[in-house]
Amino acid sequence: MKKIFSLVLLLTIAISMWGISLPDSLNYTFRIGYNIGGTAPVGMPATIRKLNSYDFQPNVSLGLDVQKDLWGKWGLAAGVRLENKGMKIDATVKNYHMKMVQGGNELEGMYTGRLVTDCNLWMLTVPVMATFHSGRWLIKCGPYVSYVATRSFKGHVYDGYLRTGNPTGDKVDMGPEGDDNPTYDFSDDMRKCHVGMLLGADCRLGKRIGVYADITWGLNGAFKNSFKTIEQTLYPIYGTIGLTYKLK
Amino acid sequence: MRIKHLLLFGMAALSLSSCFKDEAPNAECDITKAWVHTDNPNELFYQLSDTAINVMYDRNDISFTVRRKADVSRLAPLFEITPGATINPANGTVQDFTNGPVLYTVTSEDKQWSRQYSVSFKPTVVTIPSAVIFDFENARVYEDANKKATYYKWYENTMSDTDIEYWANANAGFALSKSSATPDEYPSVAVDGYEGKGVKLTTCSTGDWGLLVRRPLAAGNFFIGEFDVSKALTNTMLTTRMGRPFAKKPIKITGMYKYKAGDVFWRFVNGKIEEHTDIKDRAAIYASFFRNHDNEGNEIVLNGNDSKTNPNIVASAEVNVIPETDEWTPFEMVFNYKGDIDLDELERQGYSLTIVFTSSTDGAYYEGAPGSTLYIDNVRLECEEEK
Repeated sequence: MKKIFSLVLLLTIAISMWGISLPDSLNYTFRIGYNIGGTAPVGMPATIRKLNSYDFQPNVSLGLDVQKDLWGKWGLAAGVRLENKGMKIDATVKNYHMKMVQGGNELEGMYTGRLVTDCNLWMLTVPVMATFHSGRWLIKCGPYVSYVATRSFKGHVYDGYLRTGNPTGDKVDMGPEGDDNPTYDFSDDMRKCHVGMLLGADCRLGKRIGVYADITWGLNGAFKNSFKTIEQTLYPIYGTIGLTYKLK
Repeated sequence: MRIKHLLLFGMAALSLSSCFKDEAPNAECDITKAWVHTDNPNELFYQLSDTAINVMYDRNDISFTVRRKADVSRLAPLFEITPGATINPANGTVQDFTNGPVLYTVTSEDKQWSRQYSVSFKPTVVTIPSAVIFDFENARVYEDANKKATYYKWYENTMSDTDIEYWANANAGFALSKSSATPDEYPSVAVDGYEGKGVKLTTCSTGDWGLLVRRPLAAGNFFIGEFDVSKALTNTMLTTRMGRPFAKKPIKITGMYKYKAGDVFWRFVNGKIEEHTDIKDRAAIYASFFRNHDNEGNEIVLNGNDSKTNPNIVASAEVNVIPETDEWTPFEMVFNYKGDIDLDELERQGYSLTIVFTSSTDGAYYEGAPGSTLYIDNVRLECEEEK
């Protein structure tokens, strides 16, 4: 992680200094933002009843974009982001199908109760976008690819019960929240590569400083296709807000 | 303007995707409690606590113990079922139980699932021979379809019942963690015994999965009572519901055993296994005889916490030292009575007995040495002769 971080930092500094000798027609923008969102199913299934809490995570996004107007107001942009997409939620589910596989042993059943998920992903994202310039505004839209360097998807269950196999199977209670709650860790089942769409807008406030807001919508699930514990496909869907600094 | 529209569109899409749908109807269809209201419960039942049964989720049979000559031709049992579910025949309708069990079907609120229960009223004869032999010959491999697991269960014929799981064990809990295990890899296994078949109890690691659910160890256990798998991931102490009504005064228990302690003793501290080579694992063999209901008529069973200390225990027996041996070796334990027992209460099935065997004495606290093995066979329970 540190390696990637320092690489991006070096790149940013290098470009910002080296940028002086680059053609004036290219725009270089450094951005720092905050990601908020979740890795969630698109279209909530009826089995998810309630979101009891959503804890904000320190999700930073550091980025550098190169943009050029090519056809009048229309142009292209590409960039690189080092970002962190995390969430911590406590949800109530009812009759939620899950199949846990651990070292060749599996336990399948229907879970009803509380479920805590702590997901944290560090990734390197490369977006390629079409841009539209209108006064102080720059609207961006295009695909992105992320390489997920650090993957973590863990949690625990409490105040609930599992029916093994199906709703008529043996009932196994999960106790109140505490130190001995059953835990799970699906980190290794997560994908290393995300692709998705980015939609966003930059707004310049001064000569160099501006603000921006983006939405990144994952188009492939956060987990490998072979992963069956969670019935629904979970997509990373995040919004980013932050500041831009026009380097050149 | 256009930008705002785009952003608005994006926000709307996000919020739409996170809408909660209406709650689906319940999929479960359990009987959780069964009871009978009669004006004169003493005519029908030995004990007030026999009029109601809390039904465990893994049971499909509900069996009321009634007096030997009780009239069971017109009884209207009542049931507590999953909210929204329906039961047929209807709750509280009069049924004739003289010709054996009556089948009830519970259908879930969503109509997708149903369970069938066999409800019976079993006239119980309380004459027990002065010596009861448990030779553990009737073991069968049980297929647990819901957990996709196979393991041993033991059945006994008693005076009032045939083929009941008189002796219970924790195999159903182990199946949660290691569905891939063969029946012989479980903590409680039927093997060649001293004579015919015997029981082998082994302390087993529950593997990666067991660590994740913070229950890393399963001791081999075997006891008179019921195993409640629903408590396997909350309070292991409560999984062992020990004791069954016993209408004679037990005096002494003898039997044959072999024991070998595992090499490395495990302690589970702060979610991690601590290995101790200097601690020797110990097996446990003991029995408790206790009053099985309180003054309000509530049922009493013992569990892992109080199986030796419950104030309702009137007599206890224990094999104090169980030396390691790889030869079949006899053991003996004599009941030590705290005082006199109420003989009328004894006749009314007011006392219960449990006999407990385990390969690691503190297995319920996840302490023990994987590989500790206790074999048992030819258990003989001597009771006081009627005067």
